[in-house]
Amino acid sequence: MEDLCNSSMRFFSDQHLCFADIIPPSEVRARIEVAVLNFLRILTSPAPAISDLPLINRKSSNRRVSQGLLTEVSWIFLSHSFCTRSLMRANAAKAFIRVWKVMEMCFQILVQEKRVTQRELFYKLLCDSPDYFTSQLQVNRTIQDVVALLRCSRFSLGIMASSRGLVAGRLLLQEPNEEVVDCSACGSSGHAISGDLNLLEKLILKTDARYIIVVEKHAIFQRLAEDRIFNQIPSILITAKGYPDIATRFLLHRLSRAFPDLPILALVDWNPAGLAILCTFKFGSIGMGLEAYRYACNVKWLGLRGNDLQLIPEQSMVPLKQRDLQIATSLMSSEFLQENYREELAVMVQLGQRVEIEALYFHGYGYLGKYIAKKIVQANYI
Amino acid sequence: MEFASVHPICLHLISSAIQRCRLSEDLCRLSVVLKFSPNSDPLLLRISISDTGIGSCLEEFQDLKFPREAVIAEKWDGVLSVRTTSICDNEVFNYQLNLKESASARRLTRLPSNPKNGVKFSGTEVCLSISESLDVLLAEINCFFQKCLLKTFSSVFSLFTLICSLLVLQMLVLKIPNVAYELVVEHDDASGLQYENVFLANESNPLHFSASNLERLKSGFEDYILKHGNSSSKKCGSCFPSLEHLKVGSGIACCTEGLRNTELVMEAVILISEISEPTSSCFRPCGANSEVLCFKDFTPCSIPPSSVKALTSIDWRSYGLTLGSIVNQHGYALLEWEGLPPSARIDIVLHCYHNQYPNMIPSARKTQLDRNLIKKSVKLALDDLKEKHAGVLLSAHALKIRNCAPDLAKTIAGLILSSKDSSFQGECFSLLGLQSEGVGGEIVEDCIKEKIISVIEMNDRKSNQKSELAPFLFENDSLQVLEFQEEEYEEGDDGPFSPLDI
Repeated sequence: MEDLCNSSMRFFSDQHLCFADIIPPSEVRARIEVAVLNFLRILTSPAPAISDLPLINRKSSNRRVSQGLLTEVSWIFLSHSFCTRSLMRANAAKAFIRVWKVMEMCFQILVQEKRVTQRELFYKLLCDSPDYFTSQLQVNRTIQDVVALLRCSRFSLGIMASSRGLVAGRLLLQEPNEEVVDCSACGSSGHAISGDLNLLEKLILKTDARYIIVVEKHAIFQRLAEDRIFNQIPSILITAKGYPDIATRFLLHRLSRAFPDLPILALVDWNPAGLAILCTFKFGSIGMGLEAYRYACNVKWLGLRGNDLQLIPEQSMVPLKQRDLQIATSLMSSEFLQENYREELAVMVQLGQRVEIEALYFHGYGYLGKYIAKKIVQANYI
Repeated sequence: MEFASVHPICLHLISSAIQRCRLSEDLCRLSVVLKFSPNSDPLLLRISISDTGIGSCLEEFQDLKFPREAVIAEKWDGVLSVRTTSICDNEVFNYQLNLKESASARRLTRLPSNPKNGVKFSGTEVCLSISESLDVLLAEINCFFQKCLLKTFSSVFSLFTLICSLLVLQMLVLKIPNVAYELVVEHDDASGLQYENVFLANESNPLHFSASNLERLKSGFEDYILKHGNSSSKKCGSCFPSLEHLKVGSGIACCTEGLRNTELVMEAVILISEISEPTSSCFRPCGANSEVLCFKDFTPCSIPPSSVKALTSIDWRSYGLTLGSIVNQHGYALLEWEGLPPSARIDIVLHCYHNQYPNMIPSARKTQLDRNLIKKSVKLALDDLKEKHAGVLLSAHALKIRNCAPDLAKTIAGLILSSKDSSFQGECFSLLGLQSEGVGGEIVEDCIKEKIISVIEMNDRKSNQKSELAPFLFENDSLQVLEFQEEEYEEGDDGPFSPLDI
């Protein structure tokens, strides 16, 4: 009876879901045109006004968690809570205009049938309207505002994701009508993941791996690729070189769907930031909450974990920083964090220390590979 | 003009006379006669204030006190001779009022009255005499004699000038419709009685007889400013080439006070003028400062300190004005503004009066009421100005937003013109009221900018009333009740969690 209740809860929770559509350029242009027409209609109406922009709230207060009906995957999504940007608030007037300016820029990009990166967009806006745009972060935030306003994905707006991620190991990639790329032959640098989501969507994937290993840091990825760990343990290595970008998440999700039997194991530092990265791959994020929910995967935590602390010398432990504690608090307060992760986090905070994966090199450079192999064989992942 | 130096008794008498004339339905005359006898011993100056309004009631004199200060107080015996009659009375009553007498019973002496013999008229005449004993003068050293005489002459002359300008100001600014003013100076010297009659022409009043006091004040004040005060008889064409540059707002606040429920009225008129090129021939004493003209019971007066306080406490910033300081000089309040454009000038007139006759001498409680009334009426005048003239007195908040309007207009225009969809463009143009053919980017931009600015200005005018939420760009028909959390995103705020914003 309780199961039935739970499953119907999960079903209904999807009605709260707010999402950004992945739509072709013509439809995005149409949405922008509707926005302009609505603005003008209200401006020239008998009771003229300057309309406010309703944006889906990207704050933790609007975050909900959903659990899949048939799978074990759960994800974060945003619900129908709005905040407004208005011209009439003197301190926020510029933020209001920024949204329109990015819309104008995206519209022009779509009309010209081009694609730009966020960096390129930043420079263009900086030159065009220096009074309004001062930093990349501001531009990225404003882009998310436009996504929240028009409810279409960033990629649909013509903005390419950065190509930050790398993949290596027992994977064959083929773009349609192109040559096959063998990711095990890419050397220690691996194969760069394209920022073009359309392209990633069309990739043909083939593998004989048994595991997918998600690595937090670039240095560790390089070490493992150089040591060809994927030949000892048949696996695919993937990294976003830090905080997961949409393209890497997209590809990981594709891999998980294409090869559902492959467990996805994460190798992160033992600190709140590492756990946060794992959770982003696992559940999605608020910042891109309207899109990221699609790419949530069932990622398991391989290491480093609390019970690995015995393997490392005490000198390798470093005190937690203020930022780490803030992240820990934020994670603790999220409802999606499962109990065993919570326990790990509690230990981190209690000890007030963190450990990087590199600490394992104490035992020799080859130790990392052995550590991973042992853990996988023991199925020691949560 | 130092009205403070004019005997407050004179001011009160003139003001009472005005009230009596106002309340009469007929045309009235107000005369001030100064009779100066330099050759008599003692030197005599007789001031007589008379009017043909309704008859005076004695209560008016009840609370008059003999003032200790003022120049004339030294030389006045405190006696007022009063002759008055109402239209329905059969006789003209004569009284003598001795203000120096402390016991109230002995203050008023009734003198024999004069019969009217059936003639119907009403009016009042109040006289006081100021004398200077010649002995006192001769007691001085001879060579100073001339000076003393001159001093007495000049004080009479200045009194004359003061009263004259007082009456002119009254007439010009207040425009009381049914009163004609007359100032007469008689002086008695060796060659006999000399008589100079200065009859102040009451300019043809374009206002209807039934126009309210406030409208009259507004019209009079406009004329006053256009003529640069009393200094010229015509409107100054070079400073004010067209009346469009003149923006006037008025406000009125009333309350009832006291045991007798007299209604206290405060009127305020604010005038903003834009002078494109101040010509050197026109004397503009104030520049970036505003002189506040004050009237009390239809008589010019100096500004009381409570009013100065009230003016300081007004929220000028919400009208886009920054008040630097208020200087109280010679009974005039001078408001010093900061950041006012050099071509702009602000003038203010305040008029406080009782709506009934007789007037009560001010009490301590009245200053509190005055303060509230001033704040209220000035605020109403400022709101009136904003209401009637778009873009004037925009609050600092609205100015900030208005500065962004050109950029918003440019962006929206850019969106319209980047589109390759001609039906979309056509619809936009028709919404804006523009022709579809050959419309340049600038025209579209200007059109949108104009509309945005007018919305900003309109919202600023309404800001004191309950603010309406602007409509949303997209209407949502989702199942959930929307929670509208208005949040400020701080500019350039990185936040502690980005990008790890789990």
